[in-house]
Amino acid sequence: MNEYFNQVAAIVWKDFITELKTRELFSSMFIFALLVIIIFVFSVNLSIVGAREIGPGVLWVAFLFAGTIGLNRSFMLEKENGCLQGLLLAPLDRTALYFGKLVSNFVFLLIMEAFMLPLFMIFFNIDLIQHLLPLLYVILVGTLGFCAIGTLLSSLSVNLKTRDIMLPILLYPLMVPIVIGSVQMTGQVLSGEPLSDMMNWVSLTLCFDVIYIAVSIMTIDFVLEE
Amino acid sequence: MIWTLLKRLLKRELKVSDEKKQDSPILIWLTVVAFLASMVAIFIYVPTEQTEGAVQRIMYFHIPAAWLAFFSFFIVFLSSILFLWKKEREWDIYALASAEIGVIFCSLVLITGPIWARPIWGVWWMWDARLTSTLILWLIYVSYLMLRAQADAGSMRARLAAVLGIVGFLDIPFIHFSVLWWNSVHPQPKMISEEGLGKGMDPSMVATLMISLGAFTLLYFVFMGQRIQVEKMRDEVEQLKKDHLYSR
Repeated sequence: MNEYFNQVAAIVWKDFITELKTRELFSSMFIFALLVIIIFVFSVNLSIVGAREIGPGVLWVAFLFAGTIGLNRSFMLEKENGCLQGLLLAPLDRTALYFGKLVSNFVFLLIMEAFMLPLFMIFFNIDLIQHLLPLLYVILVGTLGFCAIGTLLSSLSVNLKTRDIMLPILLYPLMVPIVIGSVQMTGQVLSGEPLSDMMNWVSLTLCFDVIYIAVSIMTIDFVLEE
Repeated sequence: MIWTLLKRLLKRELKVSDEKKQDSPILIWLTVVAFLASMVAIFIYVPTEQTEGAVQRIMYFHIPAAWLAFFSFFIVFLSSILFLWKKEREWDIYALASAEIGVIFCSLVLITGPIWARPIWGVWWMWDARLTSTLILWLIYVSYLMLRAQADAGSMRARLAAVLGIVGFLDIPFIHFSVLWWNSVHPQPKMISEEGLGKGMDPSMVATLMISLGAFTLLYFVFMGQRIQVEKMRDEVEQLKKDHLYSR
């Protein structure tokens, strides 16, 4: 078991080192998310539509669109110089490779979201601090679900001819439940009501996370087979 | 030399087509009869619905098409699992054939739906739970077919498609509930649908719907048979090309 964690950690560490060296991913994700929010502000008249009503949706669209960039790069980077071949030849479990990629995608996205939240607070005039704990829970669960299915599909779409186009096409219809769930729960949290009032959404998103991590573990061997 | 090659190719081809002739036309004729019966039932036998008028007859296409779409996607799911388990091309072909049929019938649902909705609800589209989930389902399986078109033929394509076939089908309950709860705050339009199958519908309507359902289900198997045959022929042509054209 300890060895397995070492394998996962090695993958995560490798991704972080690469990111620290290139600094391509984080900056592009962050700027892209910011642009999504700004474009939304232009396309919706905030003096007519309340910021509280549109805010959760805009926030999640920004997170998920920017997250797609991260997911796209996650396996494409490996494909470029035949690194994927090397990873597959390395004596490590395929599920460890999946978990490593999942963790690094998840953490990158969380860092980006941590930078986005203050900006969101300023632009939309919503006080997030008083609801911070439930909001963090919603963000964690939603981002995990997105990364769980996104990492699997990213490893899948890297084998296709137009991989960067195919990933969103494959991913967006499948992540509809997590989008709706996260937006609904964020709305609930921001309006100051307890999450326990919408246990159905809480359990739906949790189930989504668990089932898609399980399915990925079961199917990743078939995807990463040369 | 080319001549002998061609002759050999033709011989193989002929033998192959002889083997394929065993496909019995009984199923096709049965489907034709069933569809004729359902046409008679829909347009002559069944009385016009009181409140909705003649347009309600589209239900006898709409519901069977929806049933068939779900059924095909379920077959895609099953074949995908069986493919990953057994690793046989057969199951990959079944999944492909079923996905294509499912997308066609799902499109039919999405086309007949608005045609029916326009005179009854006054709008072409409503973000009602069932409409929305059908649309997302359609998108999932269109992306499935796109994935198949994007990957090179071979075991890789089959494996990737099978994984997506499984992942996509498992998403259906999540989509169903999330879309249902998402829109439950809005008033639901009254729809004649599964709830109305047993009660609230005239026995003649139920009978017509059943005939139509049967006819569509037969049609599914006809399409499946044809599509599987086409795909197997394509495999054979590929194999023949490999054997006789490129080598030597």
